[in-house]
Amino acid sequence: MFERFTKDARAVVEGAVTHSGRVGARTVEEEHMLLALLDREGTRGSFALTSLGETGFRESLERDLAEARRRGGLSRADADALSGLGIDLSEIVSRVEEAHGEGVLEPGGRGGDGRRGRRRPFGQEAKDVLVRALRIATARRDRHIGDEHLLLAITLRGGVAAEVLADHGVTYESVTRVLYGGTGAGAGAGGENGVAEAG
Amino acid sequence: MTEATDLAERAGDRDPRIGLRAVSALRRLLEQLEAVQVRSARNQGWSWQEIAAELGVSRQAVHKKYGRQ
Repeated sequence: MFERFTKDARAVVEGAVTHSGRVGARTVEEEHMLLALLDREGTRGSFALTSLGETGFRESLERDLAEARRRGGLSRADADALSGLGIDLSEIVSRVEEAHGEGVLEPGGRGGDGRRGRRRPFGQEAKDVLVRALRIATARRDRHIGDEHLLLAITLRGGVAAEVLADHGVTYESVTRVLYGGTGAGAGAGGENGVAEAG
Repeated sequence: MTEATDLAERAGDRDPRIGLRAVSALRRLLEQLEAVQVRSARNQGWSWQEIAAELGVSRQAVHKKYGRQ
Protein backbone atom coordinates (compact mmCIF):
# COMPACT_ATOMS: atom_id res chain seq x y z
CA MET A 1 0.00 0.00 0.00
CA PHE A 2 2.74 2.46 0.94
CA GLU A 3 4.34 2.42 -2.48
CA ARG A 4 1.35 4.39 -3.72
CA PHE A 5 1.79 7.08 -1.08
CA THR A 6 3.13 10.41 -2.31
CA LYS A 7 6.08 12.05 -0.62
CA ASP A 8 3.64 14.34 1.22
CA ALA A 9 1.53 11.44 2.49
CA ARG A 10 4.64 9.64 3.69
CA ALA A 11 5.75 12.79 5.47
CA VAL A 12 2.41 12.86 7.31
CA VAL A 13 2.81 9.23 8.37
CA GLU A 14 6.35 9.91 9.61
CA GLY A 15 5.23 13.14 11.27
CA ALA A 16 2.48 11.21 13.06
CA VAL A 17 5.09 8.85 14.52
CA THR A 18 7.05 11.88 15.72
CA HIS A 19 3.98 13.47 17.31
CA SER A 20 3.14 10.22 19.04
CA GLY A 21 6.68 10.06 20.43
CA ARG A 22 6.59 13.69 21.51
CA VAL A 23 3.64 13.09 23.82
CA GLY A 24 4.92 9.69 24.95
CA ALA A 25 1.96 7.74 23.55
CA ARG A 26 2.28 3.99 23.14
CA THR A 27 0.76 3.95 19.70
CA VAL A 28 0.39 6.25 16.73
CA GLU A 29 -3.18 7.50 16.68
CA GLU A 30 -5.44 9.31 14.28
CA GLU A 31 -4.95 12.48 16.27
CA HIS A 32 -1.20 12.34 15.64
CA MET A 33 -1.90 12.04 11.93
CA LEU A 34 -4.05 15.14 12.07
CA LEU A 35 -1.30 17.06 13.90
CA ALA A 36 1.20 15.92 11.27
CA LEU A 37 -1.17 17.08 8.53
CA LEU A 38 -1.33 20.48 10.18
CA ASP A 39 2.48 20.70 10.05
CA ARG A 40 2.61 20.37 6.30
CA GLU A 41 2.96 23.33 3.97
CA GLY A 42 2.37 23.64 0.26
CA THR A 43 0.60 20.29 -0.07
CA ARG A 44 -2.92 19.55 -1.25
CA GLY A 45 -3.97 18.59 2.24
CA SER A 46 -2.58 21.74 3.80
CA PHE A 47 -4.14 23.79 1.02
CA ALA A 48 -7.55 22.42 1.99
CA LEU A 49 -6.92 23.07 5.67
CA THR A 50 -5.68 26.63 5.22
CA SER A 51 -8.55 27.43 2.83
CA LEU A 52 -11.14 26.28 5.35
CA GLY A 53 -9.55 27.17 8.68
CA GLU A 54 -9.65 30.65 10.15
CA THR A 55 -6.92 32.47 12.05
CA GLY A 56 -5.87 30.59 15.15
CA PHE A 57 -7.29 27.43 13.60
CA ARG A 58 -4.41 25.21 14.61
CA GLU A 59 -4.28 26.37 18.23
CA SER A 60 -8.02 26.00 18.62
CA LEU A 61 -7.93 22.54 17.07
CA GLU A 62 -5.12 21.42 19.35
CA ARG A 63 -7.00 22.70 22.37
CA ASP A 64 -10.11 20.74 21.41
CA LEU A 65 -8.09 17.59 20.78
CA ALA A 66 -6.40 17.90 24.17
CA GLU A 67 -9.78 18.31 25.83
CA ALA A 68 -11.16 15.18 24.16
CA ARG A 69 -8.03 13.26 25.13
CA ARG A 70 -8.55 14.24 28.72
CA ARG A 71 -12.08 12.78 28.55
CA GLY A 72 -10.58 9.41 27.69
CA GLY A 73 -10.58 10.12 23.97
CA LEU A 74 -14.35 10.48 23.92
CA SER A 75 -15.93 13.03 21.63
CA ARG A 76 -18.64 15.50 22.54
CA ALA A 77 -21.17 13.33 20.72
CA ASP A 78 -20.06 10.46 22.98
CA ALA A 79 -20.52 12.65 26.03
CA ASP A 80 -24.01 13.60 24.86
CA ALA A 81 -24.94 9.97 24.26
CA LEU A 82 -23.72 9.08 27.75
CA SER A 83 -25.68 11.91 29.32
CA GLY A 84 -28.75 10.34 27.70
CA LEU A 85 -28.09 7.40 30.02
CA GLY A 86 -27.72 9.73 32.96
CA ILE A 87 -23.94 9.49 32.94
CA ASP A 88 -22.12 12.75 33.46
CA LEU A 89 -18.78 12.22 31.72
CA SER A 90 -17.17 15.42 32.98
CA GLU A 91 -18.09 14.48 36.53
CA ILE A 92 -16.43 11.08 36.10
CA VAL A 93 -13.33 12.67 34.61
CA SER A 94 -12.98 15.18 37.41
CA ARG A 95 -13.45 12.55 40.13
CA VAL A 96 -10.96 10.15 38.58
CA GLU A 97 -8.46 12.96 38.06
CA GLU A 98 -8.93 14.05 41.66
CA ALA A 99 -8.02 10.58 42.88
CA HIS A 100 -5.41 9.57 40.33
CA GLY A 101 -3.97 12.74 38.84
CA GLU A 102 -4.61 15.05 35.95
CA GLY A 103 -4.81 13.55 32.48
CA VAL A 104 -4.91 10.02 33.88
CA LEU A 105 -7.77 8.96 31.58
CA GLU A 106 -5.91 9.91 28.43
CA PRO A 107 -5.82 6.93 26.07
CA GLY A 108 -2.62 5.30 24.99
CA GLY A 109 -0.85 6.14 28.21
CA ARG A 110 1.63 8.94 28.75
CA GLY A 111 4.95 9.63 30.25
CA GLY A 112 8.08 7.49 29.78
CA ASP A 113 6.95 3.91 29.82
CA GLY A 114 10.18 2.70 28.31
CA ARG A 115 8.88 2.75 24.77
CA ARG A 116 10.74 5.86 23.77
CA GLY A 117 12.98 5.06 20.84
CA ARG A 118 11.27 1.76 20.29
CA ARG A 119 9.19 1.26 17.18
CA ARG A 120 5.73 2.65 17.76
CA PRO A 121 2.86 0.62 16.34
CA PHE A 122 -0.08 2.24 14.59
CA GLY A 123 -3.29 2.05 16.58
CA GLN A 124 -6.46 0.66 15.07
CA GLU A 125 -7.90 4.10 14.29
CA ALA A 126 -4.76 5.26 12.51
CA LYS A 127 -4.66 2.04 10.49
CA ASP A 128 -8.26 2.63 9.58
CA VAL A 129 -7.34 6.09 8.28
CA LEU A 130 -4.69 4.58 6.00
CA VAL A 131 -7.08 1.97 4.64
CA ARG A 132 -9.81 4.53 4.08
CA ALA A 133 -7.38 6.90 2.34
CA LEU A 134 -6.57 4.11 -0.09
CA ARG A 135 -10.26 3.44 -0.65
CA ILE A 136 -11.02 7.12 -1.23
CA ALA A 137 -8.17 7.47 -3.71
CA THR A 138 -9.40 4.37 -5.54
CA ALA A 139 -12.98 5.66 -5.67
CA ARG A 140 -11.71 8.95 -7.06
CA ARG A 141 -9.52 7.09 -9.52
CA ASP A 142 -6.50 8.93 -8.20
CA ARG A 143 -3.43 6.92 -8.84
CA HIS A 144 -1.54 8.09 -5.80
CA ILE A 145 -2.46 8.52 -2.19
CA GLY A 146 -1.69 12.06 -1.13
CA ASP A 147 -2.06 13.85 2.17
CA GLU A 148 -5.43 15.17 0.99
CA HIS A 149 -6.71 11.58 0.95
CA LEU A 150 -5.50 11.16 4.52
CA LEU A 151 -7.39 14.30 5.49
CA LEU A 152 -10.53 13.07 3.72
CA ALA A 153 -10.20 9.71 5.44
CA ILE A 154 -10.02 11.39 8.85
CA THR A 155 -13.14 13.45 8.15
CA LEU A 156 -14.99 10.31 7.04
CA ARG A 157 -14.06 8.19 10.05
CA GLY A 158 -16.33 10.19 12.31
CA GLY A 159 -14.00 9.92 15.29
CA VAL A 160 -12.84 12.63 17.65
CA ALA A 161 -10.53 14.16 15.02
CA ALA A 162 -13.41 14.39 12.54
CA GLU A 163 -15.65 15.99 15.12
CA VAL A 164 -13.05 18.57 16.09
CA LEU A 165 -12.40 19.32 12.42
CA ALA A 166 -16.11 19.65 11.70
CA ASP A 167 -16.39 22.18 14.53
CA HIS A 168 -13.90 24.23 12.53
CA GLY A 169 -15.73 23.89 9.23
CA VAL A 170 -13.56 21.08 7.89
CA THR A 171 -15.78 18.21 6.77
CA TYR A 172 -15.61 15.63 4.01
CA GLU A 173 -17.92 17.82 1.93
CA SER A 174 -16.05 21.08 2.48
CA VAL A 175 -12.65 19.50 1.78
CA THR A 176 -13.92 17.90 -1.45
CA ARG A 177 -15.43 21.22 -2.47
CA VAL A 178 -12.15 23.07 -1.93
CA LEU A 179 -10.05 20.41 -3.63
CA TYR A 180 -12.22 19.24 -6.48
CA GLY A 181 -14.97 21.84 -6.73
CA GLY A 182 -18.67 21.05 -7.10
CA THR A 183 -20.46 18.83 -4.64
CA GLY A 184 -18.98 16.38 -2.19
CA ALA A 185 -19.46 13.48 -4.62
CA GLY A 186 -16.48 11.25 -5.21
CA ALA A 187 -15.56 10.61 -8.82
CA GLY A 188 -17.34 7.53 -10.04
CA ALA A 189 -18.85 6.95 -6.63
CA GLY A 190 -22.32 7.73 -7.93
CA GLY A 191 -24.25 10.37 -6.06
CA GLU A 192 -23.43 12.88 -3.43
CA ASN A 193 -23.05 10.40 -0.61
CA GLY A 194 -21.34 7.69 -2.60
CA VAL A 195 -17.99 7.57 -0.82
CA ALA A 196 -19.41 8.69 2.48
CA GLU A 197 -21.79 5.75 2.60
CA ALA A 198 -19.20 3.29 1.44
CA GLY A 199 -16.95 4.38 4.30
CA MET B 1 -48.35 19.69 26.90
CA THR B 2 -45.06 19.27 28.70
CA GLU B 3 -45.83 15.60 29.02
CA ALA B 4 -46.28 15.34 25.28
CA THR B 5 -42.94 17.08 24.73
CA ASP B 6 -41.27 14.73 27.20
CA LEU B 7 -42.75 11.75 25.44
CA ALA B 8 -41.57 13.03 22.10
CA GLU B 9 -38.07 13.47 23.49
CA ARG B 10 -38.07 10.01 24.98
CA ALA B 11 -39.16 8.54 21.70
CA GLY B 12 -36.04 10.15 20.28
CA ASP B 13 -33.99 8.27 22.85
CA ARG B 14 -35.14 5.06 21.24
CA ASP B 15 -33.06 6.00 18.24
CA PRO B 16 -30.67 3.04 18.04
CA ARG B 17 -27.87 5.31 16.88
CA ILE B 18 -27.85 7.21 20.15
CA GLY B 19 -28.20 4.06 22.21
CA LEU B 20 -25.43 2.27 20.37
CA ARG B 21 -23.19 5.31 20.53
CA ALA B 22 -23.69 5.45 24.28
CA VAL B 23 -22.75 1.78 24.58
CA SER B 24 -19.64 2.28 22.48
CA ALA B 25 -18.65 5.37 24.47
CA LEU B 26 -19.23 3.53 27.72
CA ARG B 27 -17.06 0.66 26.53
CA ARG B 28 -14.19 3.01 25.67
CA LEU B 29 -14.57 4.85 28.94
CA LEU B 30 -14.57 1.52 30.75
CA GLU B 31 -11.27 0.58 29.12
CA GLN B 32 -9.66 3.79 30.33
CA LEU B 33 -11.12 3.41 33.81
CA GLU B 34 -9.92 -0.15 34.05
CA ALA B 35 -6.41 0.84 33.00
CA VAL B 36 -6.35 3.59 35.63
CA GLN B 37 -7.53 1.26 38.38
CA VAL B 38 -5.22 -1.60 37.45
CA ARG B 39 -2.25 0.79 37.33
CA SER B 40 -3.20 2.20 40.68
CA ALA B 41 -3.56 -1.26 42.23
CA ARG B 42 -0.19 -2.36 40.87
CA ASN B 43 1.41 0.82 42.23
CA GLN B 44 -0.02 -0.09 45.62
CA GLY B 45 1.55 -3.51 45.42
CA TRP B 46 -1.47 -5.61 44.49
CA SER B 47 -0.76 -8.93 42.81
CA TRP B 48 -2.23 -9.80 39.42
CA GLN B 49 -4.24 -12.49 41.18
CA GLU B 50 -5.83 -9.99 43.55
CA ILE B 51 -6.64 -7.56 40.73
CA ALA B 52 -8.11 -10.35 38.61
CA ALA B 53 -10.31 -11.50 41.49
CA GLU B 54 -11.77 -8.01 41.96
CA LEU B 55 -12.38 -7.63 38.23
CA GLY B 56 -13.92 -11.08 38.01
CA VAL B 57 -11.58 -12.28 35.29
CA SER B 58 -8.69 -14.71 35.14
CA ARG B 59 -5.21 -13.76 36.30
CA GLN B 60 -3.91 -14.57 32.83
CA ALA B 61 -6.39 -12.19 31.21
CA VAL B 62 -5.32 -9.24 33.36
CA HIS B 63 -1.65 -10.01 33.02
CA LYS B 64 -1.89 -10.39 29.28
CA LYS B 65 -3.63 -7.06 28.96
CA TYR B 66 -1.57 -4.97 31.36
CA GLY B 67 1.46 -7.07 32.26
CA ARG B 68 3.85 -5.60 29.73
CA GLN B 69 3.44 -2.07 31.00
